[in-house]
Amino acid sequence: MPGALSRIHEVPDDLLAAIDYCYEQGWTDGLPVVPPAVDRVDAMRAADRRPAETVIATHPATGLELSLHAAAVNAVMAGCLPEHFPVLVAAFEAMNRPDFNFHGSTASTGGSAPLLVVSGPYADDIGMNADVNLFGPGNRANATIGRAVRLILRNVFQMLPGISDKSTQGNPGKYSFCIAERARGNPWPLLCETQGYPAGASSVTVFAGGGFCNIENHGGNTPEQILGSVADAMANYGCITLGQSVVILAPEHMRVVADAGWTREETQNFLFAHAKRTVEGMQGVGKYRDREYDKQHGEGAHALAEAGFVHRGLSPDDILITLGGGDAGGHSCFIPSWSRGRGSILQHAEIRKRS
Amino acid sequence: MQLYAPTSTTPKRKAFRAPALATIDGMRIGILENGKLNAEEMLNEVAQLFVQRNGCTVRTLASKSNASAPAPGNTLVTVAQEVDFLLTGLGD
Amino acid sequence: MVLCTEPFKVTAQNIARVLGLPDYPFLLVQHPIGSCTLPELKARAEIAYRQALPILLGN
Repeated sequence: MPGALSRIHEVPDDLLAAIDYCYEQGWTDGLPVVPPAVDRVDAMRAADRRPAETVIATHPATGLELSLHAAAVNAVMAGCLPEHFPVLVAAFEAMNRPDFNFHGSTASTGGSAPLLVVSGPYADDIGMNADVNLFGPGNRANATIGRAVRLILRNVFQMLPGISDKSTQGNPGKYSFCIAERARGNPWPLLCETQGYPAGASSVTVFAGGGFCNIENHGGNTPEQILGSVADAMANYGCITLGQSVVILAPEHMRVVADAGWTREETQNFLFAHAKRTVEGMQGVGKYRDREYDKQHGEGAHALAEAGFVHRGLSPDDILITLGGGDAGGHSCFIPSWSRGRGSILQHAEIRKRS
Repeated sequence: MQLYAPTSTTPKRKAFRAPALATIDGMRIGILENGKLNAEEMLNEVAQLFVQRNGCTVRTLASKSNASAPAPGNTLVTVAQEVDFLLTGLGD
Repeated sequence: MVLCTEPFKVTAQNIARVLGLPDYPFLLVQHPIGSCTLPELKARAEIAYRQALPILLGN
């Protein structure tokens, strides 16, 4: 159980000097932070009235705990406003579940960053972006909520680059990786609805994202053509594993799929069936493993898993797919899971206002 | 200006190492492999040197299903009762 | 006995410190392990064995 409040550092009443002080203490992600002045942290804390020492996440290997207080301090540093705080809290509640494995996904050489997908009306309430430049830059809520996640991993859980974060090449998403699901023009139920939350509720989904792959297709005009290019990206030799996937379809691509009447389930089935490589191909690049093939084709195998092939993921349900981005441009994206298998499974939690 | 530290306020932990062995000869070795490529093979090679040179036995073979998660508590409790020392791996 | 490869030495030391054992001794071998051939694994095992002896005996 942590103490209620962290140590107070006395610094000269000079904003630029305070920014430098935060650098000197090793509290930043390489970019300047907002100095976590006591009054700013108190204002952030007002967004969640539970006791300051309330633990919202615990590091499974070290036992270090994230309190509401510490979350508020880092949220201020990231540049968050108090109304952003409930999203951050919900994100860590979801990341705290063992199946997400926030230690492994952060410490690994694989270099993933937690992707946050906010779904439901709260995204609009706090002015999040689900549109042009979905993944940034430019929107304060998207940028600072995602940044606060990294600052917490770093400052509270001591996941420090080179020491306890051994990512071989890092990942731009480690600065911030937070989007809103686009509701406008979405032909499918929103994630928060499919996740079973009550009407009017909002959720945040967390996913250990290993990278970002732009999928360009301006000529395809059938679902098979558009999704064929998506499936190919999902199955590229550098990405294909038994891990999960996130696919964000741009409105231009979603229009092709929706106009043909494809449901989310039909789309997931198609992607799973087509995101695959032959066993010989996987052997050729040194990525074939008997135990992984057996896991995909053994007991409980999905009906669409084709013999002689290694598919991406274990089933169509391993593919989270929804709408996001600006109205113009045939550019969707695929984000692979850090995990080569079931080492990190995406999680979601309801965003609750406790002010 | 007063700034809050952004770090955890969890109290520092204290732990103790197991006492040294009086002898290695005839000791029981446990292996906890972490699921990484060649982890089991590597730890086995080390264990076999103890078997050949010190007459040790390999008493327990346990696996972590997730390389980056701590071993389940019940795994460690079980293994600790059956071996004199454990071989395991960290990282890749 | 915890075996790790050289790039992970600082990681191992850090976690030992956080867990309250800052001077915990590790077996340290050349990186990587995952792509090693059997002869390479055997060579690393020999090094690990020699490091382990004084640690186990408290020398």
